[in-house]
Amino acid sequence: MDILIYGIINSIALALMALGFALVYGISRVPNFAHGAIYVLSGFITWTFLRGLGLNYALSIVISLVLMGVLGALLYQFVLIRVRGMAISEIIASYAIGLAILEGLRWGGFKGMSYTLPVFVEGSVMIGGIPIDFQRIVVVGFGALIVLGLWAFTHFTRIGLALRGMAQDERAALMLGIDSDLMAVVAMAIGAMLAGLAGVLLLPLGNIVVESGYNVLILAIAVCIVGGLGSWMGAVLAAFLIGFAQILTVVYLGSHYQMVVALLAIIFTLILKPSGLFGMQKELEERV
Amino acid sequence: MKMRGFGILAVLLAAAFLVLPGTQALAEEPITLGCPLSTAYLYGWDADRAIRLAVDEINAAGGVNVGGVKRPFKVEVMDTRDLEPGVPVSEALLAVEKLILEKKADFLVGGPVRSEAALAAMSLLSKHKKVSIFTTGFLSPQFHAMVAKDYDKFKYCFRIHGEAVQLVKEIMACFQEIKDKYGLDKVFIMVQDVAHARGGGEVLGKVATGKGWQVLGTEIYPTGTTDFSMGLIKAKKAGAQILNIWMDMPESSILLKQWYDMKVPALPFGSTLAAAEQPGFWKATEGKGEYTLCNVVNAGNAPSDATPWTMKFYDAYAKKWGVEPEGLGSSSSYMAVYVLKDAIERAGSLDSEKVLAELEKTDLMGVYGRIRFDPKNHQVIPSFDPKEGAVGSILQWQAGKRVVVFPKSIAKGEIQLPPWMKK
Repeated sequence: MDILIYGIINSIALALMALGFALVYGISRVPNFAHGAIYVLSGFITWTFLRGLGLNYALSIVISLVLMGVLGALLYQFVLIRVRGMAISEIIASYAIGLAILEGLRWGGFKGMSYTLPVFVEGSVMIGGIPIDFQRIVVVGFGALIVLGLWAFTHFTRIGLALRGMAQDERAALMLGIDSDLMAVVAMAIGAMLAGLAGVLLLPLGNIVVESGYNVLILAIAVCIVGGLGSWMGAVLAAFLIGFAQILTVVYLGSHYQMVVALLAIIFTLILKPSGLFGMQKELEERV
Repeated sequence: MKMRGFGILAVLLAAAFLVLPGTQALAEEPITLGCPLSTAYLYGWDADRAIRLAVDEINAAGGVNVGGVKRPFKVEVMDTRDLEPGVPVSEALLAVEKLILEKKADFLVGGPVRSEAALAAMSLLSKHKKVSIFTTGFLSPQFHAMVAKDYDKFKYCFRIHGEAVQLVKEIMACFQEIKDKYGLDKVFIMVQDVAHARGGGEVLGKVATGKGWQVLGTEIYPTGTTDFSMGLIKAKKAGAQILNIWMDMPESSILLKQWYDMKVPALPFGSTLAAAEQPGFWKATEGKGEYTLCNVVNAGNAPSDATPWTMKFYDAYAKKWGVEPEGLGSSSSYMAVYVLKDAIERAGSLDSEKVLAELEKTDLMGVYGRIRFDPKNHQVIPSFDPKEGAVGSILQWQAGKRVVVFPKSIAKGEIQLPPWMKK
């Protein structure tokens, strides 16, 4: 029972961490290596508004998410657009931005354990004899809502359809009058907001620490590689695969090996099926 | 008018005489203390602050008498980053070497902090014949084993704080008190994947089993772990009554928050638990860390009356830094500077061989008891009685305060159980 419950929770947490990365890559083909840094930054900004300026918690979260969206858009418009199409440069540029954010936070004194966000709902409940705190239930609920919302957004809204068009074939989308750079900016903004949302949902379970940024980036990359780079649904499925594999590893081998699961998943996927589970486009390239 | 002028002159002259000794000391060439510390982490910054406090006090009192010349201490800190996850040991060694070669450190005080890095640095210190006092975080028993085994090579290294084997002795004695008072006898060990914690957890498991405790399991966590829920469920399902924690990462406060949220009926006992050592722990866990026990290695890192110097140091630290002594490296780092001053003054020289010979003869009543080094292995001599040796300290968080509960000779309160553990 504990494997099932915590497997679902862990999987949804991984999906939350990875969705923003998958979305940005799927549309703009830019691997946003600043993803983990944005996750952590949203936590610190929320903390600053909440604890430093004494704003309402919900308002602090909203402001933080809006700021993350603006940051994502600016990063694309002023940095990544210049190196778009040059894969190595994209990685170096985005990773450098992430590094600057994280190490800048550390340099600015955001270190130690005193940076915490309160849980949305205090307390815990027993399900099948297993204790679960309400915040994890909130994570599951929001996670499911975000996945559904993202699906609806990309299927029933003009912008969402344009984003999908870009993801499927950028040249065809251009011919249909879709502004690819604008869509990439929108994707980057939404991706950054999703990273920020993952942060404000998951960080109340622990502390806001700079190191989380690096871990979240590795986990997001693992999920996206296993799911197939650019595939959002693949990312969700991969999150469940890795999420359950991690929990099974903790139960039967020990917590020590939890992070190894994600790294092994990357290695095995790249050896056995480099396109991942749903990386259709890449798979076609591989066949050719 | 004339008399008034004489009066002013007399006052100025008197003031000049009062200030002169200090000014003279400061004018002399300073003695450079190289401090290799992981400054972004508790065991680095607490040591940094404590060293600076001691240096300021000594300099204000005129400095160090080196063969009749008063010389001030100067502090050079270099970040070893050795407590950061994923940073290789070579970074710390580089910092140590830079302090010796570039900053021309006369002595080293402080780290490296992580046992792996400190052990590796010992050969480097021997190569440069630099007297070094380890003061924070370096708990591995391998230190004094190495010095005892190859004295001529490692004789320049001293350790002024407690180490893992002594910690286990103190913890087992405290466990016994808990067993006698509350009848608890089942322990689950949770350790961070670093040398001192793995080693400490292993030793504690063996010793506890030998003393009739049921050790239900050991869970090892990589540095930087932020989710401990499955380990806590394992402990709960196994029927653990004490969670023995060995972690120096700040994320360990998350473990306590999750322990509270899950209402795990086991008393958290940090053999090394950096998060719970800090005064900010209460706020960081929003009070969820109440009842957490934590070994702060030496007295003076939490309020007690171990010696007349304990609270004097405690209050001076709080006044200077605006926060109470925060981690296990505070009182020992502070004392290291005084012990070094004492040895230099007796040696009358900065020569490594002369100073180390005097350090071996140290016998000083300090912040956490009588400070003496074992001349064969250069480990500070521990004791449960501050009159006999360096005394340890185990605290429990009670109603927002750090209350020393062990050893009895310095305890300020009794160990309590959380409400959900009371029958």
